Amino acid sequence: MKGLLKRWSFWCLLGLAALALFGTRLFDALPEAEVAAPFSKPLWLDRSLPPTMDLELSGGHPAVELDWTFSAPSRFSLRVETALPAPSRFVEWTLPGGKTFRLTPLNGGVELDGRDMAFKRSLGLPPFGDASSALFPERGTYRIGLTGEGEWEGSVKIRLEGGRWGLLGTDQRGRDIAALFVAGIRVSLLVGIFATLLATFLGTSLGLAAGYRGGWTDAVIMRTVDLLLSIPLLPILMALAALWGKGLWQLILILSVFSWMGTARTVRALTLTLRDAQYIEDLRGLGAPASYILRRHLLPETLPVLLATMTLGVPGAILSEAGLSFLGLSDPRVISWGRMLHEAQSFGAFTAGAWWMLLPPGLGIALLCLVFLDLGKYLEERVDPRLRGGNVL
Amino acid sequence: MSGYWARRTGSALLVLGLVLVLNFVLFRMMPGDPVASIIDPNFSPEAKARLSEVYGLDQSLPVQFLRYVRSTLTFDFGISFLTGRPVMEELKSRLPNTVVLLGTSLVLSSLLGTWLGMKAARKRGSLLEKCVLWSGALSFSFPSFFVQLVLLMAFAAALPLFPLRGTLSVPPPAEGLPLLLDYLWHMALPVFSLVLLGFGGWALYVRNLMVKILGEDFILLARARGLPERNIILGHAFRTLLPPLLTIFLLSLPGIVSGAVITETVFSLHGVGRFLLEAVTGHDYPAAGASFFLLALLTVSCNLLSDLLYGLTDPRVRMERGGGR
Amino acid sequence: MIDIRNLSVTYGRMTSEGRGSQAAAVKNVSMTIRKGQFSALAGESGSGKSTVLMAIPGLLPPGTAVSGEILLDGKNLLALPENDLNRIRWRRIAIVPQGAMNSFTPVLTVGRHVEEVLSVHLGLSRKEALERIPSLFDLAGLDGELARRYPHELSGGQKQRAAIALALACSPDYLLCDEPTTALDVITQQGIIATLKNLVEKKGLGLLLISHDLPLAASVADRLHILKDGELVEEGDPAEITARPRNPHTRALVKALLDLEEGS
Repeated sequence: MKGLLKRWSFWCLLGLAALALFGTRLFDALPEAEVAAPFSKPLWLDRSLPPTMDLELSGGHPAVELDWTFSAPSRFSLRVETALPAPSRFVEWTLPGGKTFRLTPLNGGVELDGRDMAFKRSLGLPPFGDASSALFPERGTYRIGLTGEGEWEGSVKIRLEGGRWGLLGTDQRGRDIAALFVAGIRVSLLVGIFATLLATFLGTSLGLAAGYRGGWTDAVIMRTVDLLLSIPLLPILMALAALWGKGLWQLILILSVFSWMGTARTVRALTLTLRDAQYIEDLRGLGAPASYILRRHLLPETLPVLLATMTLGVPGAILSEAGLSFLGLSDPRVISWGRMLHEAQSFGAFTAGAWWMLLPPGLGIALLCLVFLDLGKYLEERVDPRLRGGNVL
Repeated sequence: MSGYWARRTGSALLVLGLVLVLNFVLFRMMPGDPVASIIDPNFSPEAKARLSEVYGLDQSLPVQFLRYVRSTLTFDFGISFLTGRPVMEELKSRLPNTVVLLGTSLVLSSLLGTWLGMKAARKRGSLLEKCVLWSGALSFSFPSFFVQLVLLMAFAAALPLFPLRGTLSVPPPAEGLPLLLDYLWHMALPVFSLVLLGFGGWALYVRNLMVKILGEDFILLARARGLPERNIILGHAFRTLLPPLLTIFLLSLPGIVSGAVITETVFSLHGVGRFLLEAVTGHDYPAAGASFFLLALLTVSCNLLSDLLYGLTDPRVRMERGGGR
Repeated sequence: MIDIRNLSVTYGRMTSEGRGSQAAAVKNVSMTIRKGQFSALAGESGSGKSTVLMAIPGLLPPGTAVSGEILLDGKNLLALPENDLNRIRWRRIAIVPQGAMNSFTPVLTVGRHVEEVLSVHLGLSRKEALERIPSLFDLAGLDGELARRYPHELSGGQKQRAAIALALACSPDYLLCDEPTTALDVITQQGIIATLKNLVEKKGLGLLLISHDLPLAASVADRLHILKDGELVEEGDPAEITARPRNPHTRALVKALLDLEEGS
């Protein structure tokens, strides 16, 4: 067990599992929430682009000063919410040069958008002018405050949609990719582990049956294995995913039904060698029933090998799930890494050049697979020390 | 010897038969009323019934199955629900692209992988060997579509060296050399991506097998006979490696054919795999069934071919049992 | 004449078995193999016999430290580059491997192996090579038809005779036999030893027989060497050694054998 603590993969898996369990708490909003402009770049990427900002003015905070070192934001919107209309109070916008605009009186329920014609006209712009660059013509300190007379209660919300947001940017709907990425770990882990567990269970039972019973049972099971190993399975998986609905558990079931063959072969071969071992024969001679021998002797003997093959099988399940999701055959409401790549391809990540939509889910899948490959190699070496060395991971 | 070949052919036919059954069950069970998906809801019930009759959907299942088997074996797959054209015509225009895509990439990646694997096995502990071990691990963990998307974004979107989508430009250039060059230009990135994804696995397999073979007594004795290095590596080591290599080739075929669906989708190629995806999502079951059958036929015939080659390359197998390997 | 002078061999850290021992496998061994003479090198398993044999044609694994000299007619084989060694291997010094060894490439016919050495060393065409095979196989006491078979289609004794035929293909001057009769039944064993003895007497080959079977070695050899823990402890006429062993180890060995004979 000590060796396990020295493996990078073990710690990596632990970290990913912790993220899958508690990671959503790192984010204020749900992963589905549209938090910023579509295709926003990651915050650390291009420092000349403004980040998405939300400003708020209220009775307690009547003015905000803004240190602006960026180009103009892509969109400007302003929302006024007041309980009582205060037509003699205004939102005042002061440019670094001292020039001021009176944007709107504080009448309740006002919504302004940089694209509104009336708003452009009030700023003195032609219809095809850009309100956002008129409001942000240069770098410097901007002041947004309230002027005028009258009682006032409520808030003024100003949203500046920048080109940057969060750790990993946003997707085509303005969702936070970091939040989606964290939410996607769960699906990959869940499908990877449960599909493999189920497949191992199926493979072990069928392999034990084939090896121990022999005869017709063996022939039927092994012919099925041959068949399933010699036809392309993805089309079948696709058809079943379309047929059965696209839920997570259905997917796990479908994947496991088509990935037990390797385990069955291994277990059968092991059973065959063990079946003829002297002590098993002695047990039979003593009148031990087949079920007892299977449960108490053959199964425990095959278990360590099974653990290794099982771990090595997880990447296959993860990749299959990702592949089906990528082809659009998964539940669109469930966020998964494959789904993220599907959306990146289908919804214009290419035209937007949004590579930050591709890399996190893709590298996530690869990392998770490498983790399980490495753990599997570790377990394999423990079962069979001759395999030691010759692995890079 | 002929017994071995007869057995292999027999089992290939059995697999095809089972594929037919599976195909029928699978694509008849697909949800959604196929008639509803091709016709206007405003059609009269009589018109709907007539359409059902045209497609043979009003018959009982066993009759449908027999009709299905007969038509499949004559490559008459019916009319596509989605395009309204005969499925066979659709497939005929797509199959060559799929075969070119898979064939070229398979040949290139296996050659590259075998060459690198042999080199790595002969230079244990070298940088090359480490690279081969890593490329093997990476090719088992990177999703193919991700690598292809990244390649597309880098070499078609950011640096417009290759086309973003399609098998030919629209409109296609004139016949002859320009057409061929245009085709090659479109296929270059998909084929490159499959080679990139495939060679690592080959190299790793070949390296592992080769390391084992180079440690065998008969290689030491070949050295003792004063044979030139070339004879030892090619004539003895590689010659011994050939049968297991063919086994791996055989086992990897279904996965490679499955990969066509993904590759053709990413690069929007005019191939059987993408047709299958469109058919499955559009409940077009004549088309889906036919594409699956064609892909399975492709796999099974390649399987049979490599089985026969295996029999030719390994003298031991010809005498052994016929069953599974 | 092969003259081995003060041969010492130390395997590197990485031996194929993964043993990390740095102990010398062979220490300061000197012996000669003459044409027309049947020499034998006997010793327990692990005493370094095979190492001596493999050192002669330069077949020790890379990373092995070798010192001393192995002179073939005055030329030091240990100092020769690989290319020159390849011209001596099989043409002058051939090996008959252990019977248990997987000595033939499994996917090639036995005849193909013979053809290959004939073409590489003597430049014979395929047709010429095929013509030679029956007489070669006959020399090893084997039916020439068996050349068309694959190694797995031969019995243990047939395989061993085929290995002898292959070793004789280029009419070498010296034959190094590494336990050629282990794992074979007694009748086959005697047949093969008789064939080897015949080759020395009729063809004038210099033969080195390596065996853990001291009585066998003593009964056939003209000259006997006994190796113990990598060191040569006895050398001389077999009758002399069995009658008056000098080394305490050999004395114990011979006594045990005599006891066995008396007991039976």
